[in-house]
Amino acid sequence: MPIDHKRINGPEDTLPYQLFTKLNRKSLEQKYKELVQDGKRHDSRAPLEHRKIFMKTGVVSQAKGSAYIEVEKTKVMVSVFDPREIPNRQDYSLKGEIYCEFKFAPFSCEKRRLHQLDAEEKQYSQIMKKALEATVCRHEFPNFQVDIYALVLHNDGSALSAAITAAGLALSHAGVPMYDLITSATLGIQKDTILIDPTTIEERICRTPFWKEKEDNEHGLVVLSMLHTHNQVAQFYQSGSISLDKLPHLIETLEKACADTIPVIQQCLVKHVIKTIKKSSNVIEV
Amino acid sequence: MSQKFHIRLASQRVNTNIAENRRYPKIFTPGETITQQHEFMRGHGTYEDNGELKSSVAGVREQVNNLISVKPLKSRYNGEVGDIVVGRITEVQQKRWKVDTNARLDSILLLSSVNLPGGELRRRSVEDEHMMRQYLQEDDLISAEVQSVHSDGTLSLHTRSLRYGKLGQGVLLKVFPSLIKRSKTHFHNLPVGASVILGNNGFIWICPVINNSEDSVGGFVQNLEEVVPLQERETIGRIRNCIKALAMCKMMLYDTSILYAYEESLKYSIAELLVPEAMIDVAILTQHRLSIIEV
Amino acid sequence: MGLSEAEKTYVLHGVEENLRVDGRDREEYRPMELETDVVSHAFGSARLRLANTDVLVAVKIEVDAPFPERPYEGKLEFFVDCSFSSMITWVLNKMKPQMASSPMNSHMASKKMLAKERTIKMISMDIGLPSSSANATPNFEGRGGEVLAAEISNCLSSAYCSSLSFDLTKLCILQGKKCWKLYVDILILECGGNLFDAISIAVKVALRNTQVPRVKCIDMDGNNVEISVCHDMFDCQRLNVENAPVMVTVCKIGDKCIVDPDVAEEQCSVGSVVVAVSGNRFSTVLQTGMGSLHPLTLVDCLKMGHKVGQKLDEAVKEVLKESLRGGDVGFIK
Repeated sequence: MPIDHKRINGPEDTLPYQLFTKLNRKSLEQKYKELVQDGKRHDSRAPLEHRKIFMKTGVVSQAKGSAYIEVEKTKVMVSVFDPREIPNRQDYSLKGEIYCEFKFAPFSCEKRRLHQLDAEEKQYSQIMKKALEATVCRHEFPNFQVDIYALVLHNDGSALSAAITAAGLALSHAGVPMYDLITSATLGIQKDTILIDPTTIEERICRTPFWKEKEDNEHGLVVLSMLHTHNQVAQFYQSGSISLDKLPHLIETLEKACADTIPVIQQCLVKHVIKTIKKSSNVIEV
Repeated sequence: MSQKFHIRLASQRVNTNIAENRRYPKIFTPGETITQQHEFMRGHGTYEDNGELKSSVAGVREQVNNLISVKPLKSRYNGEVGDIVVGRITEVQQKRWKVDTNARLDSILLLSSVNLPGGELRRRSVEDEHMMRQYLQEDDLISAEVQSVHSDGTLSLHTRSLRYGKLGQGVLLKVFPSLIKRSKTHFHNLPVGASVILGNNGFIWICPVINNSEDSVGGFVQNLEEVVPLQERETIGRIRNCIKALAMCKMMLYDTSILYAYEESLKYSIAELLVPEAMIDVAILTQHRLSIIEV
Repeated sequence: MGLSEAEKTYVLHGVEENLRVDGRDREEYRPMELETDVVSHAFGSARLRLANTDVLVAVKIEVDAPFPERPYEGKLEFFVDCSFSSMITWVLNKMKPQMASSPMNSHMASKKMLAKERTIKMISMDIGLPSSSANATPNFEGRGGEVLAAEISNCLSSAYCSSLSFDLTKLCILQGKKCWKLYVDILILECGGNLFDAISIAVKVALRNTQVPRVKCIDMDGNNVEISVCHDMFDCQRLNVENAPVMVTVCKIGDKCIVDPDVAEEQCSVGSVVVAVSGNRFSTVLQTGMGSLHPLTLVDCLKMGHKVGQKLDEAVKEVLKESLRGGDVGFIK
């Protein structure tokens, strides 16, 4: 990977010490058993329960639009910048372009992240772009590009979903014309256990299959983004190993989770508008 | 299940050379001396060096009286006045369209050399200039005739006949221009139920039979609602694959060869014609039938 | 190259009637040609030609240290290179608009441009790569296919990520100290639609073709590890690719879905779903293209991809069996 020489980088081969602690040496079965106990997860949620969401607009004053989302420990900030002409491009494109950058802050994960985008971040940027392309009315700003930057301050699982949801909010805050509100949700599956909105630990457990000999060792992560009123899937990404019989059910579950997030966004937007109106009316009164 | 997947190994690749007599003409390579005599004229694909005529491309020598040229198998289209071409609009400019005709440079279709709706002798007004994109827009396909060749090789086209104009629903195929046999007409209504335009530039257009009674060709109106019936679609697909087969085996394309290939191909399903063995089989059978009539 | 509205309509109606332009039905693939052992410097290689799409995959092996968080596993990395075919596209794309923008009266400038374009067209002709085919993929525009390359390699690594689709523990030499690292380099020689499928098959075959050296003994001296490898050229391990994923691009045109779209069909599509099928499971599903899909359509796409993917996998395995007794052929026709 190319290194940014203008920056003083930390040593490349560092390891988080947590890797060598006792907590990390638990057997796989133990980990799986701890996943759900008496119908409760380690943070005392039900398996199909989403974490609480807090959202706010206008957190970056210099951006055209911005949003901040907190899904308990997962914190993401998204800023949207004014449309500008597409750089390094001569031919005319009828539809506007969207540029997305998804970045983990260096301190956001267990392992320190470098300043340049790594493969995972690039992939997430791509997925995010795909999701947002479906919702933005791109024909309204031909030959222009909207830049969207998502910065994960703290990653405690489902960061991509949080970023997409927040990006939708930031776009509408910026006044970019959109067909619909977009929400996204993540889901992890391990054997028969379905976990909505998994945390980092749960994500890690869902990434690896345990029982090698058994048939029902399905595992994986699914991310789905929905356009609310049109009832359209804007983006879908699955990894791991999941059978055809399970997937439609998982899609349905995620659809529901996406729909549940909608009121939060709507409220946040309404609140923002009311606040702005109040402010401006105050000014007039004075 | 019919064979949905056809994966072959390269070791089982078939030879597509079906030439009967394996006597090849002399093939010149670039830089090779063609003649040292001075009385010959320099044609395409050659250059003069110290009084010698040398080849600048790899191909076979052609001689017309004193003019010597070397014709490569693969080349872009060299237009000649009166050729019928199929082209795709690449750009709409003031008073003219740019057309991709597989020539070295984009060809030109002037607004003044098309038949506008409402009569042949209509005057072209400023409105027409504004309406140009409504007649023909980027990526539209047209059939046209070469009106003139400019000094730099650019072709000027015209569509001043009801036969020419915007093309409707159908399939475009691209082959080497050298495979198109020059003949009196390049518009063919094949008796099997499809129309074929064999453009001299190697672009071949296959579409449902054109009814001459209603003057749909030559105009700029397309019926996008109309669904081509399944039977015609099958014919068009079969002709497409037959032409591909003939082109793969480097056989000349004209109405008879296409018709024979169509008839020989009937023992295969349309999709089976994508398999190289079937393609060669059809080509060999066609060649055989053609050689019978020649004798 | 674009398609006119009428051509698009013709393609669309054909998909509706289950008779595509070239006579295939919706679930049919174009014939493919496969070749193994084409690069002698690589440990394994394969080349696949699917109509006009041509990909070359080579596998190189090196010794590396495993990730500390996964000490029992080897490493597998994918690199996709579109530059060869995209180079010409890029130049062409770059030149044409300049032609358009150059004012008509500046005679010199436009003449220069004309000359330039002429040379470019000649170049593309001489390589034998029709300029239209390289031009065909809209993804190749702009930054030389970089984005497309990243998308493909990400999709591959995600599909091979699960140990159920590819067992990385077999690549471990000494736990936590040494492992094999496989570099899978993918070169796109020509692009005629349906890149994902072609690449996934070629990768699977190349991995099957890969010969991993057999380790004779391992010496530990403090922290230094010494490995000695069998000198016999023919004594080597083969990788198990039984469950290695095969990707199927399900392309939505109108209301119907098709597999193995050609360039024209790709242009008519509103969106597609790339499905990686490993055994009877999905190892990765990725929605690509511009538009969005109804949830039910998505499920339909998945079902179709699953069905076709399994059959395709069978067909690939069938050929693999045959390839073990195949002869040698040069790889460029």
